[in-house]
Amino acid sequence: METLILEISTRGLHRYQQIDREVTTIGRALDNDIILSDPTVAPHHLKIIRHADSKLELVNLSEINPTRVNNQRLSSVVTEKLPLKLEIGRVHAQLLPRDHAVADTRSLAGNGHGKNLFGHTYWTVLLVLACLFLGGMEFFLNSYNTVKWSDLFKYILRETVLTIGVFVLALSILERLLVNRWEIRQLITSVCLVYLLFNFVSMSGHGLNYLFSASWPTTWLHFGWYLTFIPCAIALYLIHISHIKHNRAILLAILIASPIAVPAILQSQHLRTLLDDFSPSAKYQNSLSAFNWHLKDSVTIDSFIEQARELTPGEFAD
Amino acid sequence: MSLRLIAACLLFAGIFSAPVLALDSKKIYELNAERVFQVRVLNRETGKKSSIGSGFIVGDGSQIATNYHVISQIILEPELFYISFISKDGQEGELKLLGLDVAHDLALLGADEPIGEAITMSPLPPRGAPIFAMGNPLDLGLTIAVGTNGGILNQTDDSRILFSGSLNPGMSGGPTFNERGEAIGINVATARNAISFIVPSRFLNDLIEQSTTSAINEATDLKNEVARQVLAYESNYIEQLLAADWPSLDLRRFKLPGIISPTVRCWDNSAKLSAVARYKRYQIRCANKNHVYLDGDNKFVGNLVYEYFWLESEDLNALQFYNLYENLNKDQIESKLNRDIVSNFNCRTWFIEVSAQELKSNLCRREYVEYEGMSDVLFTAALTGHSNQGFFITLIMTGVDYESTLPLVQRFLEQIEWKP
Repeated sequence: METLILEISTRGLHRYQQIDREVTTIGRALDNDIILSDPTVAPHHLKIIRHADSKLELVNLSEINPTRVNNQRLSSVVTEKLPLKLEIGRVHAQLLPRDHAVADTRSLAGNGHGKNLFGHTYWTVLLVLACLFLGGMEFFLNSYNTVKWSDLFKYILRETVLTIGVFVLALSILERLLVNRWEIRQLITSVCLVYLLFNFVSMSGHGLNYLFSASWPTTWLHFGWYLTFIPCAIALYLIHISHIKHNRAILLAILIASPIAVPAILQSQHLRTLLDDFSPSAKYQNSLSAFNWHLKDSVTIDSFIEQARELTPGEFAD
Repeated sequence: MSLRLIAACLLFAGIFSAPVLALDSKKIYELNAERVFQVRVLNRETGKKSSIGSGFIVGDGSQIATNYHVISQIILEPELFYISFISKDGQEGELKLLGLDVAHDLALLGADEPIGEAITMSPLPPRGAPIFAMGNPLDLGLTIAVGTNGGILNQTDDSRILFSGSLNPGMSGGPTFNERGEAIGINVATARNAISFIVPSRFLNDLIEQSTTSAINEATDLKNEVARQVLAYESNYIEQLLAADWPSLDLRRFKLPGIISPTVRCWDNSAKLSAVARYKRYQIRCANKNHVYLDGDNKFVGNLVYEYFWLESEDLNALQFYNLYENLNKDQIESKLNRDIVSNFNCRTWFIEVSAQELKSNLCRREYVEYEGMSDVLFTAALTGHSNQGFFITLIMTGVDYESTLPLVQRFLEQIEWKP
């Protein structure tokens, strides 16, 4: 008789038990062959009998929370078709043949077997240095007074290191809870990438606003960032780095992104712009650019006044 | 010995001068105590006072003059409120609105029957002459305040007399008398201790005369009437501005319109910079003083503000400079009105060639919910194309007809001159 495998799933983790006896009992009592310590499992819950003709007989022994096989209540069943899905109390299990196929091996470094940004420590170091450099650039671009080196270090510590650190810490705790692993290096790489991209997108939005003399570029980039990019980035990370299945990864990505995206969207003035909600302030194009690239042609004063006559009245908010 | 002599002289002067002044104000008070009232706006439902002021008998003896701002509540909610008067002795009665002069903050009210002898009007006495303001401050009873005439203020478009005496809330709408007990104006506002303002009586005479031919009646839409008067005043004001020669002022590389009207005052508004600042900024802010009281929600309109801002740096690179420049380029209209009062702003952007320079300009307008045709206008224009020199102008006008402001914007732009 071929040995069978019982896969027992608890909170996303699997353990495997060989079934090679003729009769195997499953339950919470300690005299069972397979002991399940869950309180919804009866002391003697299920008996599996293996017949000589390879047929399998499953006998339910519990009146409370009776065993379900392939989602159907069972009193007794004889079958030879595997795999079989079992629900023993609230414990999910599967009866599998020993030669049941397993999924491909995932690389610890994600796809590409190490030939990507997550594969080697030097990429992580490089990205962290890039973030620190960007933090320094931000400081210099916003420093209009004579500055001290100590101010620069304080700024980088406060704005860059702290921001990246908080995200890495929060996400690593989350990852530990989800997949029972620490992947700090990959997380630092990911958070740095997002940090760099965020700044790039912000600068691009500002430049595009000036180019088009409009605010829709930053508005749409803002929404695209929080509603599309962030959930997608988290989902890709969960699939390729944390090795979580697609459907679950997408669901988790939405759940993880929500606390970041929802407040960012609700509090943003972009939402008010989009909803055309009331504002006591004039939302005019105050962006200015050293490059002075704009698509609008310059007009004469007369032409401006002529066009200004067509400026329609402001709309009353509901 | 000499000190004793001086003290004796002062005592002598005090004994003889004080009763003379007291006698004058006492006599004026006694003469007019029956002709000055408390004017109140009452809630029909609760019967309680919502706002108070003062008023006095004019015209045919059944009319009472007061300030528009004392009774402005009935403009927005005429069904809920009504106006009444109460005398020093407790005589009271309901009043109806006969005429409004919103621009000069005057209202003419009428009783059903004569309530006393009208107070005689008189032109303004010489500057420095004593004048006496009567009214009912803080609902405490009728009083008289003594002060002197500071003359007509041209920065208020000649619509205010400076009174160097104390007016307190509740005295608005009361009469201001000369030494003969004739009304030379109507108490209207106070700025601080012993700096107060009076509306000249000639505007009240005009209102009384006008109300004999076209009095307000129950069919009159009060909000429309207020809007019509404010817009007419502001349009006329803008026409006066356009008709005048504008002196210029210099701000670094620009020659700009200076004090364009006697109603305007300009101030250096440059922020104090720290010693380690790597840039310089200069700011001039000009604003008018002839604001118009609209109502309790909107407070004042008729603001004309123009501001010039210059920024330069030899130490900042172009990216740093433009970061700073953009952060400073965010002027707004200061009043924070809500959606029940005004619309959203509608703004549009242009790049305008002015004196061979390019200005990134924005023109915004918003409308008043209750007052048809009334808008606030915000115009901004920022210099572009210079790596370490920035300049912007902001022009704000409130409570105006939008179309009427465009010639003013045009004139401003035409008078901006870049000095190479």
